[in-house]
Amino acid sequence: MPVEVAPAVATSTMEITVGKFELLRELTATQGVVERKTTIPILSNYLFEASGDKLSLTATDLDLSLRTSCNAKVKKEGACTIPARKLYDYVKLLPDADITIRLLDNHWVSIRCGRSNTKMVGMAKSNFPGLPVFPSAGAIKIPAGVLRSMIAKTGFAIASEESRYTLNGALMVLKPESITMVATDGHRLAHVERSGEKFDGVSGEMKTLIPKKAMDELKSLLDSDIETIDFAKDESTLFFRVGPRLLTSRQLTGQFPNYEAVLPKDITKSIALHGEELGAAIARVAQFADERSRAVRLRLEKGDLKISASSTETGESEDSIEIVYDGDPMAIGFNAQYLMDFIKATGSGEVKLELKDAQSAGQLRPADSEDYKYRYIVMPMRI
Amino acid sequence: MQMPHYPRTIFHVDMDAFFVSVEELFDPSLKGKPVVVGGDRDERGVVSAASYAARQFGVHSAMPLRTAAKLCPQAIFVDGHPERYREYSHKVHEVLEHFSPLVEMASVDEAYLDMTGTERLHGRPLKSAHRLHAEMKSVTQLNCSIGIGTSRLIAKVSSAKAKPNGVLWVLPGQEAKFLAPLAVGDIPGVGKVTEQKLHAMDIKKVGDLARFDDRDLEDRFGKWGLALAGKSRGEDAGGWFDNEVGDSVDAKSISHEHTFNEDTGDAERLLSTLMRLSEMVARRLREAGFFARTIQLKLRYKDFTTLTRAHSLEHPTQMDNQIFEQIRNLFVAHWKKGAPVRLLGVQASHFERGSAQLDLLEPDQQQRWQNALAAVDHLRDKFGESAVGLARGMKGGFRERTHENPVGLPGKMPAKDANKD
Repeated sequence: MPVEVAPAVATSTMEITVGKFELLRELTATQGVVERKTTIPILSNYLFEASGDKLSLTATDLDLSLRTSCNAKVKKEGACTIPARKLYDYVKLLPDADITIRLLDNHWVSIRCGRSNTKMVGMAKSNFPGLPVFPSAGAIKIPAGVLRSMIAKTGFAIASEESRYTLNGALMVLKPESITMVATDGHRLAHVERSGEKFDGVSGEMKTLIPKKAMDELKSLLDSDIETIDFAKDESTLFFRVGPRLLTSRQLTGQFPNYEAVLPKDITKSIALHGEELGAAIARVAQFADERSRAVRLRLEKGDLKISASSTETGESEDSIEIVYDGDPMAIGFNAQYLMDFIKATGSGEVKLELKDAQSAGQLRPADSEDYKYRYIVMPMRI
Repeated sequence: MQMPHYPRTIFHVDMDAFFVSVEELFDPSLKGKPVVVGGDRDERGVVSAASYAARQFGVHSAMPLRTAAKLCPQAIFVDGHPERYREYSHKVHEVLEHFSPLVEMASVDEAYLDMTGTERLHGRPLKSAHRLHAEMKSVTQLNCSIGIGTSRLIAKVSSAKAKPNGVLWVLPGQEAKFLAPLAVGDIPGVGKVTEQKLHAMDIKKVGDLARFDDRDLEDRFGKWGLALAGKSRGEDAGGWFDNEVGDSVDAKSISHEHTFNEDTGDAERLLSTLMRLSEMVARRLREAGFFARTIQLKLRYKDFTTLTRAHSLEHPTQMDNQIFEQIRNLFVAHWKKGAPVRLLGVQASHFERGSAQLDLLEPDQQQRWQNALAAVDHLRDKFGESAVGLARGMKGGFRERTHENPVGLPGKMPAKDANKD
């Protein structure tokens, strides 16, 4: 009896044409999310999905995902995966012309541009991890410029050592009329607050720990002319919609340290300095600091701040800055890098340096901060 | 009476068969018998020390235990007890300090003393050496041999010639004559490679070497050639022989390793072993007062492929838990899950004298840990290394391998052939 053999199921299709410039822009924006050293091969691929007149690109490392899109002529709707790094490197080298991308058998993908013709080895799109979906309600609008500025003022203080898990991110506190961001690595703490905003949908206090990698990614996404972003979260995921791009991040769980307890309360000495002048002096002197500890010594004297450093290998160096001070002399040591980080984040204005003694945290803050209440607390070094 | 003036007087005090002799104190029945310290006869691992009786069968330190068992089947195999050796090493050190303020423990069982200028106090070198020898015996019940010379090199070579239980003084001016008939391989620092090269040049005895022009040796061996020329005359030249006795030689790294009797792929067991090794490394860091910035994991698989992976800390540490944390991360990131492991090692390096950065969030935490660990160290000093440890390390309990690193001078490992003692 003749058996009817079912025709092979038509393999999935996809065929699109996209401008090189548009594609490259989105590839560049998503590179940071693609996992380079992954043990899960699919994570080094993009998921390309074509429908309507859009091509959407997704990259994920499981902790973080970024989804973006660009205009495309979609001839056949469908989806495929393409090795991310290789595609990026290749597209950069293509002439500025239209690129046609077509899914072939066995997950291979054809990429044609002018007289260039390449077939790349993709993977089954079913392997690509499913992604969290932006919650249908409860999104909060945050001005992009505010968020960008707050990240710039705190991001550098996030712990880079993975050992202190809950310090691997910044704490964002939203209230109906203010937003605060705090980051610390256990040795210094950056705290910035902005009032006079209006956050619809926030009642009471909404605390969110944003992982360092998400902060870094957000910072570059916010370098655009988008005015506001949409922020939302569910039990496990944070969502940031920046224009056409959607960044999702797994939430950091755990308790952010009780930072309010370490904000200095009994400051006895306060001096005003020009950020630029202080930064330049520290930069010079730090050339002669111990390469590993980066310790510099600050000595307050009547009318004079002396900044010095020395190391057995390189020698010693001192700068002095004229200040208004007539308290008791005192000396305190700091990691030069920690001080420089703050000066870089505040720019050239006047800053206040506030101290108690050589064993207690010092505080730096801009002298006039109308828009942002910004303070930076640094623990000293033994010298 | 005017005391004669000697240019420099260096003692090299070397304990005779130190590990074996200490074991004999705890078990007198071992006396005079072929004894191998290091582990069971069928265990994987190496000989830490062998008694003189065992050496007659060709057993020597660093030889696999199983080989030793073949060469000398009647030998008594005993586990090493590093805490005992440390304890006795401290006693040895104390005796030596009565004789000179300039004492340098070169390893757990040998030391250099600079005795220059002590004639008025202790008498002539030979007399003070005999007093030292007697006091060592009465305080520690251990025999030692003492070499006396105008340089560390001469002292070291003459103590080897004085063994066992002897004293030998090479009179000032007689150095070259004393060395001339000795084989070039007897010079500390001359290893197999140099020896072969010298033999190829028909240089067999130190005297042959001394007849060579310094320039020629420099042409052939570079800087090392000049050091060789100096050594042939009995001078301290090259390597750590350049240091004055009592100079503190900062260690470059501190490490501990463990070879499993049976390869294991059990993650729990591997991690607890790493915890234990981290504790041991941290302990020695604290003994030496170092804070380490770089922590390195060594991992050897069953097939002997070995990898080392290091992590540099933002702030240097000497604490068990912080070292283990890095080691665990490295291990988790690099171990092929389930793959049988033969050897694990933990190394700390890039030392600093202190962690200067104060903590903002937990200003007391560091101090609390330090207090706790100081108490732990104290218990270990008193009751032995396994008296107390972090919970994780308990499962990884293993005997500490006996090593010859000097007490209080971690990591400095002079080339040493333990069979010469």
